[in-house]
Amino acid sequence: MTTIQTENLTKNFGDLCAVDNLCLTVDKEIFGLLGPNGSGKTTTVLMLTTLLSQTKGNASICGHDTRREPEKVRDCISYVPQDMAVDTTLTGRENVLIFARLYGVKNPKDRVDELLAVMELTDRADDLAKTYSGGMRRRLELAEALVHEPEVIFLDEPTLGLDVGARKNIWNHIHALNKKGMTIFMTTHYMDEADQYCDRVGIINHGKIAALGNPSELKAHLMKDVITVTIDGEYAPTQLDGTLFVGQLGDTISFTAENGREALPLLVDALNHAGNRVKAMSLREPSLDDVFLQSVGKQEEPKGFEEWKFRMMLHHRGGS
Amino acid sequence: MEVPDDAPPQGWIVKGVTTYIYRDFIRWIRYRVGVVSTLVLPAAWLLFVGLALPVKFTGNYLDFITPGILVMTILTAGISSGSLLMFDKILGFLNKFLAMPVPRESILVSKILFISVRGLIQATIILILAVLIGATIMNPLQYGLTYLILFLFGVFISAFSTTVALYLDDHDSFAAFTAMVTMPLFFASSALMPYDVMPGWLSAIAHVNPLSFAIDAIRDVGAGSIPVIPIVLLLVFTAVVVVLSGYVFRKVTV
Ligand SMILES: Nc1ncnc2c1ncn2[C@@H]1O[C@H](COP(=O)(O)OP(=O)(O)OP(=O)(O)O)[C@@H](O)[C@H]1O
Ligand SMILES: [Mg+2]
Repeated sequence: MTTIQTENLTKNFGDLCAVDNLCLTVDKEIFGLLGPNGSGKTTTVLMLTTLLSQTKGNASICGHDTRREPEKVRDCISYVPQDMAVDTTLTGRENVLIFARLYGVKNPKDRVDELLAVMELTDRADDLAKTYSGGMRRRLELAEALVHEPEVIFLDEPTLGLDVGARKNIWNHIHALNKKGMTIFMTTHYMDEADQYCDRVGIINHGKIAALGNPSELKAHLMKDVITVTIDGEYAPTQLDGTLFVGQLGDTISFTAENGREALPLLVDALNHAGNRVKAMSLREPSLDDVFLQSVGKQEEPKGFEEWKFRMMLHHRGGS
Repeated sequence: MEVPDDAPPQGWIVKGVTTYIYRDFIRWIRYRVGVVSTLVLPAAWLLFVGLALPVKFTGNYLDFITPGILVMTILTAGISSGSLLMFDKILGFLNKFLAMPVPRESILVSKILFISVRGLIQATIILILAVLIGATIMNPLQYGLTYLILFLFGVFISAFSTTVALYLDDHDSFAAFTAMVTMPLFFASSALMPYDVMPGWLSAIAHVNPLSFAIDAIRDVGAGSIPVIPIVLLLVFTAVVVVLSGYVFRKVTV
């Protein structure tokens, strides 16, 4: 029995198709759903967690249909929403205790102590949550989500707004949970994190899966090297045998090449010949950013492009 | 407000309700200004309106006005029930709770119960204060009936306000709704003056105002009769609104 399975899962908001015939299978792994803003990640998660009903199609979690047996689905999942929601006027311990009681776990007090220890919150457990840092609040939310030992946990952007250390910490926890057999379904904007920690990623754009697979496989689909070119002014499309256009991000154009070192001088000529003014060039190994750019960038119309480009630039860290 | 640690699975809705109430209760007592205002406001109302208002329509005006202030207090308390739910919705708590296996209706029931009982605590303060400043002391049955009417009215109002909150998307529109409903309901009721001194149009409105309904019933209790029909009707109206609220809740949380 697969943990998460969807068949043609579709959600329309009026004329807008937020999720478009999504077919996914996720099992005992860390699955990352990646995509630009408004691509349908949260909508997908809401449908899978029985918080939103689909327009069409089916989804089942642990063998239970989300529409026909929502209570059974809720019994085996936990959901941590995109916007952090912890009661700031309650202590960390009280926050988790409420969840333990709502889930009806045996010996809630002991279970809460245990989870606070796992999430390294024991020494601050009796302080009000309003005194917690962003990273601590996220860990508190994880503790709440884990009280009933769910089979699947849905995390909507769990590392958003956290610093590097806190992010790494959250990822270590997620990793440990997965090692114990838990399925993790998460969304993120951070390509490098997805690359490093996810067993599989799905890149979603306009509600459709544009690429799906293991990060290294996806990168292998691109050629061996990536050449990025910074140009001055408008980009005039350039073709060169042995290289492939990946996408454009602002004034930076990316190509892939089987042999980058040889292609580099030829590409400069070809670019100049087409009328581009090349300012700088660089050569590197492909990253998930390039996969993302290739699957998302190409079919994006100019209007939507600007916004996700902005987000990409915000989140584009350490990829090169 | 301790919640038992081990409840049988069939008592899950009870456990859900008590846990949600426990949560709202601690949040309320931690927010000290909130506690003071819920307790001081009704007292202030009674003192200003009951003692300071220069007009005297009836013999013992304090006995006349107290039921009005009681119901008014329950009204403002009950209306804020929707506000509690609204904040849970805006801040993302509602979605977290809805994704849990505990029966979803327990969220709704807990809000209604918490607010209604909190309203009764406020009512108690008014009743004590009223006696201190010269209202007639009633017998235990009369107090019991008064509490029953206030409780039913509280459930009625808080179920109504949570239903509205379920439909509205932001707190500003909810606040606008609250302001729009509370004051007109109060002034167009029999709270401040008997029907015979009202202008005809006002008396017509006041007669169909649910607020007057509860106020008149409490006055009947004070006068020594048992208002069976008003209580039964109040029970029916309350049941209808609660069922409606439950229906809307299910509809908006698919
Ligand atoms: N309740 C709603 N009513 C109408 N449209 C909606 C609603 N919720 C989402 N949408 C639209 O559906 C699309 C997908 O939204 P969704 O929140 O799933 O995106 P996302 O991938 O999670 O984006 P982000 O990265 O910003 O969180 C967007 O165009 C959004 O405007
Ligand atoms: Mg989202």
